[in-house]
Amino acid sequence: MKRPVIVLVALSLFIAAALSACGGAPAPTASSVQQAAPTVAAAVQQAAPTVAAVAPTVAAAAKAAAAPTTAAAPTAVAASGAAPKALSGDPIKIGVAVAQTSNTALLGQEQVIGAQIAEEFFNQRGGINGRPIKLVLQDTAGDEAGAINAFQQLINNDKVVGIIGPTLSQQAFAADPIADKAGVPVIGPSNTAKGIPQIGDYVSRVSAPVAVVAPNAVKAAIKDNPGVKNVAVAYAQNDAFSKSETGTFQQTVTDTLKLNLATVQTFQTTDTDFTTQVTNILNAKPDLVIISGLAADGGNLVKQLRELGYKGPIVGGNGLNTANIFPVCKDKCDGIYIAQAYSPELSTPMNDAFKAAFKAKQQGKDPGQFPAQVFAGVQVFVEALTALDKAGKLQTTDLAKLRSDLNKQALSGKYDTPLGPISFTPEGEVNQEQYYVAQIKMNSDGQTGKFVYVK
Amino acid sequence: MAEFYTTYGFLITSMVLAAAMALSLYLPLMAGQLSLASPGFYAIGGYIAAVLSTQVFHPGPGPYPLYLVLIEMLVAALVSAALAVLVGVPALRLRGIYLALATIAFVEILRILSLNLPILGGAVGIFGIPQPFNTQGEYIWLGLPLLLIAMVFIYRLERTRMGRAFYAIREDETAADAMGINPTATKVIAFTMGAVLAGVVGVIAAHFLNTWNARQGTFDSSINYLAYVLIGGSWTVFGPVVGGLLLTALPEILRGLASFRFILFGILIAVGAIFFPQGIITPELLSRFRRGRQPGRPASGGQQASQTHGPAK
Amino acid sequence: MTLINVWQNILNGLAVGSVYAIFAVGYTLIFSILRIINFAHGAVFTVSAYFTYLLTGSAINTNGTLHKLFTDGFGAPALPIKLPFVIALLVGGLLAGLVGMLLDRIAFRPLRQRGADPLLTLVSSLGVAVAMVNLIQYFFGAEIYSYPANPFGNIPAAVNFGTADTPVPVRTIQVIIFFVAIVIVIFLTWLINSTKLGKALRAVSEDAVTASLLGINTDRIIMFTFFLSAFLGGISGTLVGVSVGVAGPYFGITYGLKGLAVIVLGGLGDIPGAIIGGIVLGLAEAFVPPQFVAFKEAVAFLILFLVLVIRPQGILGRAAVVKV
Repeated sequence: MKRPVIVLVALSLFIAAALSACGGAPAPTASSVQQAAPTVAAAVQQAAPTVAAVAPTVAAAAKAAAAPTTAAAPTAVAASGAAPKALSGDPIKIGVAVAQTSNTALLGQEQVIGAQIAEEFFNQRGGINGRPIKLVLQDTAGDEAGAINAFQQLINNDKVVGIIGPTLSQQAFAADPIADKAGVPVIGPSNTAKGIPQIGDYVSRVSAPVAVVAPNAVKAAIKDNPGVKNVAVAYAQNDAFSKSETGTFQQTVTDTLKLNLATVQTFQTTDTDFTTQVTNILNAKPDLVIISGLAADGGNLVKQLRELGYKGPIVGGNGLNTANIFPVCKDKCDGIYIAQAYSPELSTPMNDAFKAAFKAKQQGKDPGQFPAQVFAGVQVFVEALTALDKAGKLQTTDLAKLRSDLNKQALSGKYDTPLGPISFTPEGEVNQEQYYVAQIKMNSDGQTGKFVYVK
Repeated sequence: MAEFYTTYGFLITSMVLAAAMALSLYLPLMAGQLSLASPGFYAIGGYIAAVLSTQVFHPGPGPYPLYLVLIEMLVAALVSAALAVLVGVPALRLRGIYLALATIAFVEILRILSLNLPILGGAVGIFGIPQPFNTQGEYIWLGLPLLLIAMVFIYRLERTRMGRAFYAIREDETAADAMGINPTATKVIAFTMGAVLAGVVGVIAAHFLNTWNARQGTFDSSINYLAYVLIGGSWTVFGPVVGGLLLTALPEILRGLASFRFILFGILIAVGAIFFPQGIITPELLSRFRRGRQPGRPASGGQQASQTHGPAK
Repeated sequence: MTLINVWQNILNGLAVGSVYAIFAVGYTLIFSILRIINFAHGAVFTVSAYFTYLLTGSAINTNGTLHKLFTDGFGAPALPIKLPFVIALLVGGLLAGLVGMLLDRIAFRPLRQRGADPLLTLVSSLGVAVAMVNLIQYFFGAEIYSYPANPFGNIPAAVNFGTADTPVPVRTIQVIIFFVAIVIVIFLTWLINSTKLGKALRAVSEDAVTASLLGINTDRIIMFTFFLSAFLGGISGTLVGVSVGVAGPYFGITYGLKGLAVIVLGGLGDIPGAIIGGIVLGLAEAFVPPQFVAFKEAVAFLILFLVLVIRPQGILGRAAVVKV
């Protein structure tokens, strides 16, 4: 009986230690400044190796895109290899709440990379007119309660000016109303379900809703394969995104293109074996298969379709727009048409700069949609804050006012992001000017490949 | 303090709701039945609240009236009770792991059905659930009374004829039967009480989370609730409550460790199981606590108790 | 439904079922000897798939901390060894076996020694599983991994069990998994029924205390059971990884629920029952009509529920009352 008591005491001591170590209680502003200083330095030091690679591109970007005037100076500083003295003052904190753990981390880890690149990138470009930004990461895990907990931390403890997150639409429906009530602007980086911007005035997103992205890929596939008559559709019934997307796909097939919808098959994102669905699809003798799912399940469905003898064209939804499907379907990925909200092949100064920064950090890999969208979210906040600063509105100590000003400013601006030019409707819905259709081209090793821009 | 509650009010309320869910698992366990059906009834309760509050009741502007939440709870309780009897009568003939698996099957069937019923919104679920309160922390005014009522109810129940019948079945079903206890009826009653509690918690949770979908109340949460009960202690009403509170708080306490936190969380669960094989709160601990509070009693009395009732070998 | 559809569905059911079976066989081995459920079996299944991946000398992705560790240590984000796939598969299985033994030491033995409620092993093994999955995530990242193409040489992707005109294709890897599952079951049945070790296993399974009185080193036998279960689980994990890719740290966990269903359907602890249970579940899923495929899982679990209610001892199980 003694031992459990000792363990219990040890456990509670440990918990207490953990609490105090992680700053469970809200830190006063003064100490947070001191805390923040080394962090920024560290971030910049970390960034040092990447500087050389990025610098020329950034310079080009600055010239071509007529970026804010401050951009030129820090670029020069960065190129000469000097350290962070260009930045001074209290860092402005922006929250990032994505799934760093749980089985949603496949998406969340990519988002974290996008955030880290954005932090380094914008600080190198001079932050907010010389003031650094600091991204505060809070893990949402994969559930709704986790998202709310992360939001509460960011809003009340970390006192961020705005939040980018959460990863899943279902999490957004849980956590966004809380930020909205607290008057904290939220930008959804990957929430595509219908109804997200309508949650409230403070909620917007940079992730285009599926209805606008999906049909383009089908049209591209039909253009290359004019004989298509029978279409089979498959989707992940337990994924919010795929469920909305398939509705758009099915409508495009039957209403817009007047084709025959031969069969609709469903699966779960946790499924790995699609033998039953493939058999049903093959029995329907389709000339085109359209899949809405995520990387692992969608990739396996493609692989098993091909291995069991399907030879016709395949269209993949936006959930398949990730290099993560390459290791799943390997050489069988070749030729899939993919609806994209982001294309690494877009050649604008901003996207070239983003791509260079990403490749330097990720062993030369092309960036995918998730990091690009988070990056775009950070960019919206940074540019809106820069504009607020010019209007003299950043020098306030009234956090509530700053948050509400930021929200108004963010929604009214126009941004040249790696996704292409975007702006927002008054409701907070993204207006993205360009969408992309790519075709997957696998390399001869069957393990790596790329998304080749079609239109 | 107020600022602390602004940040952690949501967490504290989720802890309270988790404790109530642990009790819903504990109720059938009192009668020796390892049922993992609670998440299913929790999901049903949540969907009932979500559908009624977004599609049936239209109370007009302003905060959502609390009496409507109470009506939702009543509906959820009735539906859960009816379904529990329907499922319980065949399923409770099973014992041990077989019952656990049958109830898991029930939870999975419900999940697939809810994904396919158009009124429940598919994978996206139902969102924009109206709020009776301004902040999530205020849900403590629904959660805490519910938890306390459930605790008092179970505490009293343990001392009634029915409660003793539960324990008799837990100890030895055949002997209980011979003593004139109707095992099937008693087990169904225990199962139904757990289901009603879970359904009512689901109603609160749906409002509390702003949204409801098929990811709520799944196999994973079944296992979590079981961990609450076993780590907390499965022999008194306080065990599941402590387990639920503690294990819900733990990942948030470890939040600063970022991606490390669930590594440590897993280790702590394993360590907890090993060091508290009877759970954290054991009947011995409680009786020692009670004696310790009586004036004039030396502490040695407690030690004696622990020696005589120490962990079973 | 034409005859050819029926034939295809039977083969599909066998293919899917053999994956369930191969997962469940290690699971059921632990249950048959120790009468406990090892929730960490899914994590062992996963970790072995990663071991094999490492041993083939393949590169770690950038999101895992091993990427940096290996790059700093070996100059490349991979182990400096490159085993042929089949060797890596076996070594990966052996390593998984060691993890299994470790698992016994951490999560099961302490509880055994304290004579704790067997239910508690559910919780301790769950804790270890959570820790393992998150450790994998920490070291390897959440990305999807897959083995080099054609690990078994240049064999066709599918085998045709029909005619050239009406093909009835089954993926080759599924056929391999099916036969490996059968071989494992035959091996285990032989081991348990016809060897001295098997006799000791059965003795421990009947009554551990008496077994140790009779001079059997119970502790070592149990550790061996964990080793064997994890070794078989490890090989299975890699094979399933070949079939569908290693979809992140939760790869094996997703089979846990179906695995549990399979071992109960087959009669808890009955080793050939794992195959029967797997195939019954696989066939049930395969025969769900195409228009109801959305309810496929519900049908599978409804069957499970009904089997339990009608025949609580499982399909093959003996009618003995199991007291838990």
